[in-house]
Amino acid sequence: MTSPASRATPVPVESGPSESRPPLELADVSVMIGGQGGDGTLTVSDLLGRYFRKCGLYVYTSRNVLSRIRGGHADASVRASRDPISAVKPQVDVLVAFDNEAIEMGRAELSPDGFILYDSTSFHSEIPTAVGFPFATLVGGPLGQPIFKNTAAYGALSVLLGFDPAKTRQVIEERFKRRGGEALEKNLKALEIGRHAALEAPNVANRYSVVEGDAHDLILTTGNQAVALGFVVGGGRFFAGYPITPATEIMEYLQRYLPPLGGVVRQAEDELGAVNMVLGAAYAGARAMTSTSGPGLSLMTEGIGQAGTAEIPILIADCQRVGPSTGQPTRHEQSDLSHLANLGHGEYPRFIVSPATPEDCFSLTVEALNLAEKWRVPVFLLLDQALCQNTATSPRFDLSRVHVDRGRRLRSEEAASLTEYKAYRITDDGVSPYAPPGTPGLWAEITGNEHDEWGHVSVNPVNRNRMMKKRMEKMVLARDDLPPARLFGDPAAKIGFIGFGSTSGPIRESQSILAARGIPTRYFQARTVYPVPVHELDPFLKGVDVAYVVEHNYTGQFARLVREHLPWHHAKLRSILKYDGYSFRTPQILAGVKEVS
Amino acid sequence: MVQSAKPVPPIWCPGCGDFGLLASVKRAAADLKIPPHNLVLVGGIGCSGSIHNFLEVNGIHALHGRLLAQAIGVKLANPSLTVVAAGGDGDGYAIGMGHFMHAFKKNASILYIVMNNETYGLTKGQPSPTSQLGFEGNIEAPFDAILSALSIPVPNFIARTFSGDPKTMTQILEEAIRFNHENRGFAFVEDLSPCVTYNDTYKLWREKVLDVSKLPGYDPSDRKTMFRLYLDTLESGKIPVGVMHRPKDAAKVGLEAKLLGDAVGPARSDISIDANLTSYEKLLAAAV
Repeated sequence: MTSPASRATPVPVESGPSESRPPLELADVSVMIGGQGGDGTLTVSDLLGRYFRKCGLYVYTSRNVLSRIRGGHADASVRASRDPISAVKPQVDVLVAFDNEAIEMGRAELSPDGFILYDSTSFHSEIPTAVGFPFATLVGGPLGQPIFKNTAAYGALSVLLGFDPAKTRQVIEERFKRRGGEALEKNLKALEIGRHAALEAPNVANRYSVVEGDAHDLILTTGNQAVALGFVVGGGRFFAGYPITPATEIMEYLQRYLPPLGGVVRQAEDELGAVNMVLGAAYAGARAMTSTSGPGLSLMTEGIGQAGTAEIPILIADCQRVGPSTGQPTRHEQSDLSHLANLGHGEYPRFIVSPATPEDCFSLTVEALNLAEKWRVPVFLLLDQALCQNTATSPRFDLSRVHVDRGRRLRSEEAASLTEYKAYRITDDGVSPYAPPGTPGLWAEITGNEHDEWGHVSVNPVNRNRMMKKRMEKMVLARDDLPPARLFGDPAAKIGFIGFGSTSGPIRESQSILAARGIPTRYFQARTVYPVPVHELDPFLKGVDVAYVVEHNYTGQFARLVREHLPWHHAKLRSILKYDGYSFRTPQILAGVKEVS
Repeated sequence: MVQSAKPVPPIWCPGCGDFGLLASVKRAAADLKIPPHNLVLVGGIGCSGSIHNFLEVNGIHALHGRLLAQAIGVKLANPSLTVVAAGGDGDGYAIGMGHFMHAFKKNASILYIVMNNETYGLTKGQPSPTSQLGFEGNIEAPFDAILSALSIPVPNFIARTFSGDPKTMTQILEEAIRFNHENRGFAFVEDLSPCVTYNDTYKLWREKVLDVSKLPGYDPSDRKTMFRLYLDTLESGKIPVGVMHRPKDAAKVGLEAKLLGDAVGPARSDISIDANLTSYEKLLAAAV
């Protein structure tokens, strides 16, 4: 491959189709940007997302990268719409390619009216509808470095999509203002180079126009960032973790957010160290969390078992990726559910809550912290790669709806009025009042061994039965405290969907498509997946003739849990499954719905 | 007066070296006037790890090998607590080895006591990481925790004691806890604590222990000197005991001090929305 920077003179601009036509209006636009890792595809995606936000559009971006620092195919896609969206658009309107592989990879998803804009510095595409500009060469001369080709491509795109030039420029200014000086200046130059190239080329300018929207007071964020923010406002003050894709950003955000508030974030020596530091901090009375993905969760299993038996309230965010073993670190799956529901040797209570959007990530993280401390159990925040790392527009996070409930934690004055302090006292409501170490005048024994109410090790069978019952009944007693499901669609529909996590986006979009075709559906979005919400699922399943459980795994893990806990609805359940590492597109869901054909 | 968990009688065999350590820990806590509610004892798994049940203290029984990670979590969450982690050589140097080496590097101001008996007592006498060649068929070289500790260039407190000399042991434990109280960092004390049932080394160790502080040139602030004295002592067939490293500099370099300064720490922070509203509003506005 020729080094783009070595070419001294720009090669001629290649021309696109020559017939002229009015701009094609797009109210729901999808742009895919592909190239080699390091080509800056994510930057183009970020710039487009910012531009669309300025136009009052809802935005959803996703990325497809490899587990390596540089090189290998990488792509990102940006979707913008006048209507709320939380899924990838099945067809791409414009494909931006930095190499031929990106064209080959992206073509399959291109719509029939789709347009390919590519960097022709090192190759020429034979595809008649592809228009090439030698971006790397164009910027390499004046700016000295070909790396600004991505900003030039954004400039050309802005012309193709009929962007407002002032807003287009503002986006660059906002994106690079922090880095300032030379970086900002060169990116602004690259923007103009890209714009001029596109303006001079025949039939490129204003091929499309993106319809503006009125969704202005929204934020654009990822699930991982929302979890970090929810943790902070929910009173989380201690975090320990170990770097792992796709969970690492939670730790990185908290490294910025927590220290100014007197909180602590530690990167541990491994996941064993992380979960045990979290156990120590939670025992000491801090609201504490770790975040990880499947491989880390395997290592944390012993620590989480201690949390269950010793009744230490910890929060574990599981950013699911493709498993088992190392699996596909950067790819999407929802296959840890069975593991979490059965995690560890022996039996102990645990709650698994599952948000579907960044806003939900924010509020459920707060809720999970309250649940953990109130019920003194480990709580899992069940996330998935698409939810963790894709960005989506969301209403501003509402602090007025955040509340901190510390349950039966004893304040010093309450503790002082006790006649005796048993850390594992058996109470009517199932929870022992707790005083953290340092509370004047009292102390306790805390252990993962079976113990009596004092925390003394016990092998007494009567005590064993009482203690097992004390712990396990939390799963029943907490029922009304657990996050309720959300229902969408026609409440009288006979076709149901059941899902959790980011799958909710494509499911709800499929519902709209079906409704437009005269097929009403209703959707049960589980927000507590364990204990299985039988009291919510039973009426839902009673009302439908068939329920499609849509999830990203091979064996239908949630469907199996639903069958196990509601066997009388067994015959109504069907699975729509996907485990290829990519999140659902609506046609893949619709293809699984029998009533459609 | 609130009635808290009462100590239970030790599960140890009569004559176990761990009794000496237990008595010294009690003595040190009393001498330093640490009230039970401010003392956290994190126990490992094994005979020695049950020590937290035998005295008035906030006891937490950690997982096998994980006591240091839990103890560091406790200290970082509430730096006003005196935190002591105590376990055996199998717990600390086998299953807990990763956390052990990192504890020196992290340098939180906690005391870690390893009751080293060179065997797995509770599971009936298997060789441990510190077992001598030939013990129960052991063909692997014994691990030397003091040498490893000295190799990590962090200003920790490092010492070895012998359960047969409780007076010196108490002095060293008190010095270690004071080191922690001054936020100077991690203190590690390996106590030679014979297992009278599976590896009774009392007589042998009594003959072989050599107090390094009596040696000419002894300077625990100088690692190079201490490596040489330590290796020379081993070469002479003796077992070095005493303070092996203690930095001269009294700076507050403990992890909790570096992270928190004078802040009360995560466990005692006021986490109510009202108390934090302005910070939260700023955070949300700047973040997204």
